[in-house]
Amino acid sequence: MSDVEAREPAEREWWRQSRLLALLPIILLVAAVSVFAATGTSLTGLIGHTAPPADEFAIRRVTFKPGEIKIRVTNPQRTDLTIGSVTVDDAIVPYHVDGPTTLGRLRSATIVIPYDWVEEDPISVGVTSSTGIQTTEEIAAAVETPSASGRSFLGYALIGFLVGIVPVALGLLWLPSLRRADQNWLAAFMALTAGLLTFLALDALSEALSLQAALPESFQGVGLVLLGVAASYLGLTFLSRRLSVREGRERGLGALGLATLVAVGIGLHNLGEGLAIGSSFALGELTLGTFLIVGFMIHNLTEGLGIAAPLAEGAAVRTARLVVLALVAGAPAIGGAWIGGFLVNDVVGVLFFAIAVGAALQVVVEVGRFIMRRAPGGLGSGWVIGGFLAGIVVMFVTGLLVA
Amino acid sequence: MARRVSRKKLLAGTAPVVAAFPLAKLAMSDQATAEAGMNHSSHAAMGHTSMEHAAMGHAAMIGADVPAPGRAGDLDKLLYPPPALPARPGRVREYRLTAIDTELEVAQGVTFAAWTYNGTAPGPVIRATEGDLLRVRFTNGGVHPHTIHFHGIHPANMDGVFEVVGPGDSFTYEFEARPYGMHLYHCHATPLKKHIAKGLYGAFIIDPPEPRAPAQELVMVLNGYDTDGDGENNFYTVNGPAFYYAKYPIRVRRGKLVRIYIANLTEFDLINSFHLHGDFFRYYPTGSSDQFEYTDTVMLCQGQRGIIEIDFQNTGRFMFHAHQSEFTELGWMGFFEVVD
Repeated sequence: MSDVEAREPAEREWWRQSRLLALLPIILLVAAVSVFAATGTSLTGLIGHTAPPADEFAIRRVTFKPGEIKIRVTNPQRTDLTIGSVTVDDAIVPYHVDGPTTLGRLRSATIVIPYDWVEEDPISVGVTSSTGIQTTEEIAAAVETPSASGRSFLGYALIGFLVGIVPVALGLLWLPSLRRADQNWLAAFMALTAGLLTFLALDALSEALSLQAALPESFQGVGLVLLGVAASYLGLTFLSRRLSVREGRERGLGALGLATLVAVGIGLHNLGEGLAIGSSFALGELTLGTFLIVGFMIHNLTEGLGIAAPLAEGAAVRTARLVVLALVAGAPAIGGAWIGGFLVNDVVGVLFFAIAVGAALQVVVEVGRFIMRRAPGGLGSGWVIGGFLAGIVVMFVTGLLVA
Repeated sequence: MARRVSRKKLLAGTAPVVAAFPLAKLAMSDQATAEAGMNHSSHAAMGHTSMEHAAMGHAAMIGADVPAPGRAGDLDKLLYPPPALPARPGRVREYRLTAIDTELEVAQGVTFAAWTYNGTAPGPVIRATEGDLLRVRFTNGGVHPHTIHFHGIHPANMDGVFEVVGPGDSFTYEFEARPYGMHLYHCHATPLKKHIAKGLYGAFIIDPPEPRAPAQELVMVLNGYDTDGDGENNFYTVNGPAFYYAKYPIRVRRGKLVRIYIANLTEFDLINSFHLHGDFFRYYPTGSSDQFEYTDTVMLCQGQRGIIEIDFQNTGRFMFHAHQSEFTELGWMGFFEVVD
């Protein structure tokens, strides 16, 4: 002990020195950047002319109100971009801009156009930069953008309730049947959960990647996807660790812990799903018919089964717990529908879907560990393989209802 | 042993499916009423706002609200030609044209990297009387080779096709002005399409030996600008800036003849046209004979031109525009303000 104390001052001294040393690269970088900035233009002179900027706006969102069209534009490039002229269906229109007309890098503005658009007709809007470059956005059918009102708020909540909470709750009703099933069947159902979550992960990943492709390049959509996936995967890993500690287990989750984790994973997926439904509806890309809602309900019924499967093994669970699990898994669909319907934001959409991917993958891993520990025959048994494939098939077939 | 299916198990298993039916029914009926309610309210709202915004519609776009660049009087030199001179065969008429690369504001807030004669697109009006000796001294101040090709009758070496004038070089075109009529001039260097689309053209009037009747004379050169280089015009104008004469109507008098020298130099589009509201006019194709058509609409391909003579019957504000609605709404629209 006295030895340690004696060493401490010397160690501290070393720390102080090493911290200063750690700053050295940064100090040198600042110096190098300053030198380059002072003489930087000569570099392009050596290589040749640089290409002119594209001068194209990123049209982020077009919304319709009676007698009015609004265009949200972002400057995706390094140099400033000025709104020069605005067209609707190839005709110059009077407009005003909420915000500055000259946009710095990644700055946005909303162009407001008084315009009597024709309901359900295709329409194109164009924004021409002061340098004459026109960016055009085609809208397949002009429909009024739903605005936030108590009525629509309730409407989106109902959508979220129907596609999120109801099917999950109904799926949980399979619990008594599952409890009577034997170990092999249980393993199969657990594997089915893993299969359907794998399907959801891939589904969300493709959604996230296609959404990010529409973002301005400078938003680095792929990095955003990775960030969301990693954050949610690691976040849930941390959560599962805490849950297993609370359950007093050395390694691996218990039945309730795993069910909770599955519920969280499915909940994050339903957040994305609600967002997708809400924003598609708000942007007029989706005809929200009864068939679609019913389709989503059937599609999501299996999610409840996924939560019920791990519970079938453990001790009896109180009904209140089940209600909480159903809400954890289903209620985010309501929040997603609100966010999608009222705040449509493509960056948020990408992040949400990426989060859903990470969550689903993490839960698949947890379920896999659970099966490995508990199932007769482990991961390689026919019951497990069959169940996993069945999970994918079930999602695929019910997915046909909403595609 | 657990595979025995008991009645209780079966019931529990089917409960979710059974419960789905009333819920689905609920969803269906609610959806239907929500849709009906939305349709109703949106129709009512549309009706209301269309009246409210009628004043903002295109046809009524006039005055300060018009998105047109420039100030009143900016285009006077292009709109009002120099006066006709009485015939005096052999008289020398001298003009100086310089090719200048410049940025033009072709629509409000939008600039175009133009190639011009003397800094404007269209270039200056060149006018002579039949029999005059026309001497046009051309200097190329741009960075590409250019020429001036005049329409009319002249020697082959004055045609502006073979004598390409390099940057910094000069060339003098000299020939007798004939035949009388409304003509045009433009660059004929290759690629031709580019050199015309960039703005190298203008009106060229040759007056007849017998003077035309006194009139308020106007020049209108129809053109377009492809500002983003996709081979399609983004803007259409008469004499330069989009919607200029909608913002600054042309004042004319009832009871005084109005004569318009009109030429089409629009690139990319097959035709352009001129349509007058509220009146008819005499149209003399190429202005080179007494033959005319009495109409309110004429169609012109690129290079086609003529003379329009209007006796306004009424006072007030009368629109003129291309009778291609697309061109009209992309800048080729203006007004006559007819006063007593």
